[in-house]
Amino acid sequence: MPLLDLRGVTKDYKLGKTIVRALRGLDLRIEKGEIVAIMGPSGSGKSTLMHILGCLDVPTSGEASIEEQQIRSLSEKQLVELRGHKIGFVFQTFNLMQTLSAQQNVELPMIFQGMKKRERAQRAAKLLTKVGLADRVHHRPNELSGGERQRVAIARALANDPEILFADEPTGNLDSESGGTILELLKRLSTEDGKTVIIVTHDPDATAIAERIIHLHDGRVVEEVKNA
Amino acid sequence: MLKDFFMLAARSITHRRMRSWLTVIGVFIGITAVVALISIGLGLNKTVEQQVAGVFGVDTFVLVPKGSFGPQSHAGGSSEQYALDLEFLKSIPGVKVAAAVRQRTGFVQGPAKADGTSTQGFLPVMGLSTELVNEFESFTGKLTVQPGGRLFVAGDSDVALLGTDTAERLGAKVGDTLLIAGDASRELNLSVVGIMEPSDEEASTESGGGFSAGMKPAQSKDTIYVPYDTMSLLWGEASDVLVTLVRTQPGADVDEVADRVEKELTARDSEVSSITYSDISDAIGTMTTTVSAFLAGIAGIALLVGAVGVMNTMFTSVLERTKEIGVMKAVGARNSHILTIFLIESGLMGFVGGVVGTLAGLGLSALASMFIGRFFGVQMAVVASPALILITLAGSFLLGAFAGLWPAWRASKLPVVDALRYE
Repeated sequence: MPLLDLRGVTKDYKLGKTIVRALRGLDLRIEKGEIVAIMGPSGSGKSTLMHILGCLDVPTSGEASIEEQQIRSLSEKQLVELRGHKIGFVFQTFNLMQTLSAQQNVELPMIFQGMKKRERAQRAAKLLTKVGLADRVHHRPNELSGGERQRVAIARALANDPEILFADEPTGNLDSESGGTILELLKRLSTEDGKTVIIVTHDPDATAIAERIIHLHDGRVVEEVKNA
Repeated sequence: MLKDFFMLAARSITHRRMRSWLTVIGVFIGITAVVALISIGLGLNKTVEQQVAGVFGVDTFVLVPKGSFGPQSHAGGSSEQYALDLEFLKSIPGVKVAAAVRQRTGFVQGPAKADGTSTQGFLPVMGLSTELVNEFESFTGKLTVQPGGRLFVAGDSDVALLGTDTAERLGAKVGDTLLIAGDASRELNLSVVGIMEPSDEEASTESGGGFSAGMKPAQSKDTIYVPYDTMSLLWGEASDVLVTLVRTQPGADVDEVADRVEKELTARDSEVSSITYSDISDAIGTMTTTVSAFLAGIAGIALLVGAVGVMNTMFTSVLERTKEIGVMKAVGARNSHILTIFLIESGLMGFVGGVVGTLAGLGLSALASMFIGRFFGVQMAVVASPALILITLAGSFLLGAFAGLWPAWRASKLPVVDALRYE
């Protein structure tokens, strides 16, 4: 039973009067614990695919399911629940709250789940230690380097212990050394903690850690490569 | 969770410090105006009530011609006079002391001059109860006569007090005899026992403020004053009473006694209305409340402008933080969470404006009271009503939250994908 299962998924956007067909009958299955890299040129539908896999958006047609639950049949509230518990996001531009410390940023998803303050703080500290930022917990994002910010973002994505981690160009704004650290961390999360990691990327280095590389073009899967 | 939302909102406010303060100032000006005007209104009300209470006490009421007080009264009051049986009034249960003032125009002949002639003419003659002098000084003010004379005492009958002008015109001094003619060839020789000191405006303010000025029958310079009972000898039973003052027995309910007196006197053809302390204070209350409400309404416009400022700031904030909203939603925030965070944010700005505005408003009202008090020569009461403060603080939070409602609702409804894409 695949964790994520997409069959004939299409997604149309209205841009003014024109309709943009971002996904055009896409089939894709992702198993639990896999590391998958999704590649493709700009406009190939990578981000749209990630939004649908991440329950941020619903397909126009076709079947998309997560653990056999049809995404289209879920209410907005159920989608929020899923995002809160099963899914973590890492963004290219980190998207941390500038007003909050590293620890508070990591606590944010736990706040929305109604977790008690003490439990939250302990868990956030543990996660920041895991990503190697034990000595940076009280720093604000603007006091951290790009690589450190992305590690805070990964800790935040792990806040509610999700099964799936989505990373949208996680190394896009980083130098190669910091990028390498981030990819290393993502790989460890898969191999050590059994997380399913899906990376949308242009970065050839990212493909090195993936077990499977999926190439998109014009809203369809055009090639699947398994890494040895 | 709510505590954390407060933290998130507060962080956002302090992060945009300059804009937040400018928004708060918008609210603060409106709140200051409202609090100051309401406080001044309350202070004014209290001051006037204190003044009235000083004149009336809690046990006194006034009988005036029917229809000369209250909403039906015509402008300028009534100059009508009414009939009164003072002895009957005194016998009504609950009445301790009663004093009345009658007025007529009478033919008066002054004392004989050296050449044997005497000045004569028609002059206003006023009958005053002795009790008026002894018991109701708070109404009449301190009545004084020029040295060598005296006021009325109990048992006085054929005596008169003169206003300064009258004394001069008649050429009369203490000890002289006047002839006063009343109705139906009734006439009396009255001995002048004193010349009244001319009324002094300064003194009148001191003795109970402006209110009692109208109740000062005995300070007119061109009048002849005689004892109340003497009026009956000249003009018969009283049908010409201007005003009656009544003090109730200790412990009696003044409003109840006033009602009873009004009813019983009306049954005996006295066209009177009673005015008690509570009537006056109600009337003043209605008046000052109306004025306060009107002023506060005008100040409310300033408040409205402040609220629009909050709304504007919140819209800007939502626009700026579109991506942040998307991220919060992506990490598990519900629409209601976003709504709450933004409402708290706008509410907090309103609240801070409310706190600063309340303090400034109270300060302003204290300052204004000082100036008004000095201008009118009275001690103005400064009122810091706890109810007003609480309502203002809660209200300012609600005002802020209300102004932020629309922007916050918009923020909460942002589709997460669009919000994340926003640059």
